[in-house]
Amino acid sequence: MEQTTAVPISKPKPQTQRPGKYKRYMWGFIFLLPAIVIFTLFLWLPIFKGVLNSFYNVDFVKGDTFIGFDNYKTIFGDRYVMTAVRNTLYYMGLALVIGFWVPIVFALAISEMRRFQGFARVAAYLPYVVPFVVLYGVWRWLYDPVGPINSVLKAIGIGQINFMVDRAWSMASIVIMETWQSFGSAMLIYLAAILAVPRDWYEAAEIDGAGIWQRIRYITLPAIRNQILLLLMLQLIATSQGFQTQYAMLDGGPNNATLTYALLIVRYAFVRQDYGVASALGVLMFFGLSILAIIQYRINNRGGVQS
Amino acid sequence: MKAHERSIISDYDLKKPGIRWSYYLMNLLVVIMMSCMVYPILISMLNGLKANKEVNSFPPTFFPKEWHFENYTKAWNYIDLPMYFKNTMMIFLGNMVVTVMVLGLAAYALSKMRVPFRTPIYYYFLGTLFIPATTYMIPNFINLKDLGLMGSFAAIWLPAGANAFFLLLLKSFMDGIHVEIFESARIDGASEIRSFFQIAFPLSIPIFATLSIFVFATAWNDWFWPSFILNQDNKPLSSAIRDFVLNARRLDLNIKFAILTIVTIPPIIIFLFFQKFILRGLYLGGVKG
Repeated sequence: MEQTTAVPISKPKPQTQRPGKYKRYMWGFIFLLPAIVIFTLFLWLPIFKGVLNSFYNVDFVKGDTFIGFDNYKTIFGDRYVMTAVRNTLYYMGLALVIGFWVPIVFALAISEMRRFQGFARVAAYLPYVVPFVVLYGVWRWLYDPVGPINSVLKAIGIGQINFMVDRAWSMASIVIMETWQSFGSAMLIYLAAILAVPRDWYEAAEIDGAGIWQRIRYITLPAIRNQILLLLMLQLIATSQGFQTQYAMLDGGPNNATLTYALLIVRYAFVRQDYGVASALGVLMFFGLSILAIIQYRINNRGGVQS
Repeated sequence: MKAHERSIISDYDLKKPGIRWSYYLMNLLVVIMMSCMVYPILISMLNGLKANKEVNSFPPTFFPKEWHFENYTKAWNYIDLPMYFKNTMMIFLGNMVVTVMVLGLAAYALSKMRVPFRTPIYYYFLGTLFIPATTYMIPNFINLKDLGLMGSFAAIWLPAGANAFFLLLLKSFMDGIHVEIFESARIDGASEIRSFFQIAFPLSIPIFATLSIFVFATAWNDWFWPSFILNQDNKPLSSAIRDFVLNARRLDLNIKFAILTIVTIPPIIIFLFFQKFILRGLYLGGVKG
């Protein structure tokens, strides 16, 4: 306020600019500080603690004791670890075989619809907003031996399937349920990409005599190639860490048929209270998954996102 | 919409009977898919209106023989739904405040302010994207215990600010705002805080709206993590449903379905109202990863 009276003086200006610049740096740091603190406390700290804990016997009461590689020895001596790895790979594979192609097919089909496209989109996406806990409750009943799916199977003469109890079916049942819930979101991503393909490419192909399958094979699929790759990676990353559905629906049963690797981590931690082994399992998992993460980063960057 | 645009199949193709019938078949397939999508949602609403005996009967019926609307009253009173709903909203609002205050400020600083070591700091944040969350889930739990946050909302709120993906989305959105606006604000003597709250934040409302959908979905859906972190009286709705409804032994099936329906309706309504934001969020999440 007092400075407004000192109008004729223009000399001090360059002098005030220095502290101003300094102050601006200070504000930048102040703005970044909360994020730096929070990322350190809640991401980097646990990540490094995880590596550290994997060499300790973690005990909340008596304190941690250093035990070298004993946790890793426990893991390699546990036969359930192999079961869990196998189940996880099986789960990832099943999710590809049962679920991955579904959104592509329906995106193609819906893009061809001449009426009610909007309805089809909303209907396909609707299950995605159903909360997981509701999903578990409803599908337990759908899969029930006397539930609707089995009554349809009986009506068409296939006979009863014990979706949840049968070891051969339990993982597939989970994948079918998850596909039901989540394919809508992937479908919308494909659909947007398909609708962005210039229409005259099809026109040109048709004039050149390309059939419908050839148009899909040589125009549409190459046009959505990036989306296919990206969603493939996202699905692999998600399914390789999957455990919540297996835990909530079957608790890893029947007879460990749905015990995934991440569920084994949860079991070690919260059932056996062996946090050291659980951390070591996490470290091993990181090395297994980092390959996936690197590939995803590559694909992302090619998609044209600035770092 | 304007007159029909051609797609893969042209009008000429449709004149051939073989293609026409496969086209009808394909439409039928989509209709079947749509009914498969809607059926489980509708049936759980209707099951909530049936007598318990009817829900357990085989083969299952679609429409109730008698309508028991009182099931929904019973369901409402079975557990303290308003309290758990309040907890979910507390988590949502707290997470949102942290997202704006921590990630919003950081994204603004990275995008529009001159900070030394900007790139290393940015990579310090983004590096966390390469480490899958499940691998440090247990250390994370121990860490929250060590920090003494266990059982308080802060154990959910504060880590909500450690989201590199949101930071990435916010920064790339703010990169699109012209820097001249902030320069003229600076010349007019606005402080950096004021530039953020009165210029950057209002201009970034679309991206914050999109993020709020993500944050809401997480608050409403996440049951596993909160059930280990929070207490009996501040756990969110979905954890409560999982603990007291899904695993309840002596709860009648019709009441169970009524409760599940009550929990499903708010997100469905939100989806139908905010479709535009949700779909944009989806594309951001899917396309930019």
